[in-house]
Amino acid sequence: MSDLTRRSFLTWTGAGVLSLAAMSLVGCSPSGSGSNGSVRFAWWGGSDRQRAYLKALDAFTAEHPEIKVAPEFGDYDAYQERMTTQMAARDVPDVFWIPSPAVLTYRGAGLYRDLDGIEGLDLSAFSAEQIESFRLGGTLDTLPKSVFSPVVRYNTTFLDEDGVTLPDELTWDSLAEFLVDYAKDNPEGRKGTTYGPYHDMPFESFLRQRGEDLWTEDGRLGATVDGVAAWIDWWEKLRKAGATTTVSEQDGIEPSWSQVGGKVLVTFANSNHIVDDAQAFPDYVFDQRDMPAAPDAAAGHHFTYYSRFAMYSGVPEDRIQPAAALMSFNLNSPELLSLVGLSAGAPPNTALLDQYEPDATPDEQKVIAVTREIAATEQRARFEAPAGSGSWRELMIRELEEITLGQKSVPDAASAFVSAVESEIAGA
Amino acid sequence: MAHIFLLPWMIGMIGVTAGPLVASAVLAFTDYDLLSPPQFIGLDNFVRMAGDERFWAAVRVTLVYVLVSVPLQLGFALFLAVVLDKGLRGLSLYRSAFYLPSLLGGSVAIAILWRQIFGEEGLVNHVLGWFGVELGSWLQDPSLALSTLVVLNVWTFGSPMVIFLAGLRQIPEELYEASMIDGAGRVRRFWSITIPLLTPIIFLNLILQMISAFQAFTQAHVVSGGSGGPLDSTLFYTLYIYQRGFVNFDMGYASAMAWVLLLVIAAATAANFIVSRRWVYYGDE
Amino acid sequence: MAATFRTSTASRIVRHVVLVVFVLLMIYPLLWMLVSSFKPSNLILSQTGLVPTELTLDNYADGWGALGSPFSLFLGNSLLIGVGSVLGNLFSCSLTAYALARLNFRMNKFYLALTLMTIMLPFHVLVIPQYILFAELGWINTYIPLLLPKFLATDAVFIFLMVQFIRALPRELDQAAMIDGAGPFRIFWSVILPLMQPALITTTIFTFIWTWNDYFGPLLYLTRTELYTVPVALKSLVDTETQSGIGTMFAMSLVSLVPIVLFFIFAQRYIIKGIATTGIK
Repeated sequence: MSDLTRRSFLTWTGAGVLSLAAMSLVGCSPSGSGSNGSVRFAWWGGSDRQRAYLKALDAFTAEHPEIKVAPEFGDYDAYQERMTTQMAARDVPDVFWIPSPAVLTYRGAGLYRDLDGIEGLDLSAFSAEQIESFRLGGTLDTLPKSVFSPVVRYNTTFLDEDGVTLPDELTWDSLAEFLVDYAKDNPEGRKGTTYGPYHDMPFESFLRQRGEDLWTEDGRLGATVDGVAAWIDWWEKLRKAGATTTVSEQDGIEPSWSQVGGKVLVTFANSNHIVDDAQAFPDYVFDQRDMPAAPDAAAGHHFTYYSRFAMYSGVPEDRIQPAAALMSFNLNSPELLSLVGLSAGAPPNTALLDQYEPDATPDEQKVIAVTREIAATEQRARFEAPAGSGSWRELMIRELEEITLGQKSVPDAASAFVSAVESEIAGA
Repeated sequence: MAHIFLLPWMIGMIGVTAGPLVASAVLAFTDYDLLSPPQFIGLDNFVRMAGDERFWAAVRVTLVYVLVSVPLQLGFALFLAVVLDKGLRGLSLYRSAFYLPSLLGGSVAIAILWRQIFGEEGLVNHVLGWFGVELGSWLQDPSLALSTLVVLNVWTFGSPMVIFLAGLRQIPEELYEASMIDGAGRVRRFWSITIPLLTPIIFLNLILQMISAFQAFTQAHVVSGGSGGPLDSTLFYTLYIYQRGFVNFDMGYASAMAWVLLLVIAAATAANFIVSRRWVYYGDE
Repeated sequence: MAATFRTSTASRIVRHVVLVVFVLLMIYPLLWMLVSSFKPSNLILSQTGLVPTELTLDNYADGWGALGSPFSLFLGNSLLIGVGSVLGNLFSCSLTAYALARLNFRMNKFYLALTLMTIMLPFHVLVIPQYILFAELGWINTYIPLLLPKFLATDAVFIFLMVQFIRALPRELDQAAMIDGAGPFRIFWSVILPLMQPALITTTIFTFIWTWNDYFGPLLYLTRTELYTVPVALKSLVDTETQSGIGTMFAMSLVSLVPIVLFFIFAQRYIIKGIATTGIK
């Protein structure tokens, strides 16, 4: 091997190693996995929410200059993918939002820290009763960051244009009749509603009115085959009568609001969705109201969903108090609320909500109105989805695909759904 | 001596690849829900696979996809590469235009684009409407949804096309000149010089595209919204692995499925290698 | 370049027409995306045609600063990782491919098979063990997990590609050099590497473009927004729940296409220039 070739080879190698070193130094940053003492905070949403929270975190740091925050943002899907990996690696952020199907799954994995008696966690805005309602199985290990309930949302511009009004009292039957009438020979070709049986919260409301629970206290599926079938039947009647957009029209069992929002009068949604959804159609005005209910609906069927967040059980001692301070800020800060708004739901802190109200946008006022209306109702307890049930919405959607393609009858699909969910729960 | 050249590869193999490779092989024999330590369950995952309806659906969908889209894609790629190889004005523009779709192939934007084109009122139905054919959204029809993904794969033929172009460039001009002196026409030159000397590259593209098609994930994930629907008609094998592992937290089963895929791909590749002795001509033999 | 067969004007025109039609079909989706990026967000999904009723530059203006930092930051990050990955692959894959294709040693076929095997395993099942490995080393929120593997020949696709290209070269070249007294390093550096230019260019193009479009790796290893690469940033622009932000996502996707298209146009000219020598004589 001559000197020339050895030199060229070494040059080649040297160049490689140097580039590598340079790259890694450039990409390096001191905050590994929060190892420099910053509190890691993880949330999801769109780019608006990302910016809003970044500003809010700046406000937090202004109030608590000794605490540094390391933000970890992702959109909903990305957040879950990252979270799953972090969970497996036991590298979870200090304070993190909990996706609704995962609440009890994460609990079973021991991801939550017990929050009882943690110094720096300010729960003074909540009554003892409320705090009790936050508990899961007796432990206070998660807190609600926002609350919402299912509602019926409607396009008032369409109502005016088509010269109709919604009846004051809505039952499932009267609503169905109304929607079928509306869609029949509508001059603009508008439909009554989107095809929406995949929607989890209205489904739960329907079940509760029949006296069933979606999830029981002992971690099972509370819906009966009859209950599921009745729910789907209600939708199938509408679809067959042409009162809903077709699955093809709405491009899937789960429609995209921006695609079909301009074609329907009514839609079922969560009380906070109006804030973002209305912006997709700035030319229309929307309003919302409580779910339909028959006079013989079971008592206490209303419910408020808690969207939760928690502190990771593996947070080192020196970061517990700063993390608790961050959680308190999320729960109590008027500044955060004014930056973030109600797009993710109403704050569980009602005093804070009252304080915010005068500055709320018109759509947010509608959220507040319906939140208050539902808060004043009697609500029997509801329970979170058990571990293993995480993909129940996908199972429902698959059955709905078969039904709408005419390949399965509703009773068969309902019982297939129930068995599939039950076996997934059993397998967990 | 060779081992000096192989040093980076060895470090990479041992340090970065081997560990996870072995870990996933071990996990295939366990029940692992990502939250608690894996538990050994022997061959249960494989037994479960055999009886899993959705597993077989995924196998069917993936096989159809591989057998249909790979030849189509390579056919277009080779055809365009030969056409664009020489003697045309605006060559680099055409080449870039044909490569453009490959740049977008795996992006978020594709989902929306594809839905618009194949949706109920999209371009495809519009054009079909001229011929009196009325169809609904292709993506909601179990018999048509997979074809949209095949079209997507064929649409991104730019990558193999570039490889063919590079291969065509490597064929020495003297061979063409010599044959023309002997009086060979264009077609004769194509079949006697171009194709034989291109066979290592054709083989390369075939293997790469086949492996890539077996493992196709992003397209199905993004166009079907992650569901593999409607009715599992776009449930690519790796999409099902992803669902089982990342959505259902069933990582043991997902690992088992991944290794079954590896064995199938290895078998298909080995078969191709064996058959390749018949038709691939290497310059170094 | 020696295109020495004559083509009649008629056949040239026909070729051009066919190509143009084909090109239009191919880029229709991109045209649609381009037009839509100038539509107000709420009209994008409801109008499927190519002709917009309203035009606006909002998507570009909003999208640029949508994630708190100017989008050029993400373009720069992707560029850095792209260039680094290219250097890594060129370095490590060429060495490995030469050894596997030209040097005869006992484990040759086995190593090649092993290399191929790594391409055949879907990455989702490798992700978690790899993440744990890099997390233990404290390399989260750095670019190391994304770049280091490139310098260690883990992109087996390019090893295989280079092996095939090298095997297409006649062994007489090596033998001629050996008669002149050259050892394996000399042969690698002076004979094989120059003749492998198309393979090297191809590796450069694909490495750059694939790392540019890589989503999952950067998603997992980069949690700070300022470190994001383009695909992660693009995904963050669309809110999964409300599907808002499609307009900005289209606008920024197109903006991000510009560097890679330019890169491709630039790089492919080197394929045209071709090999310096044919090496037969």
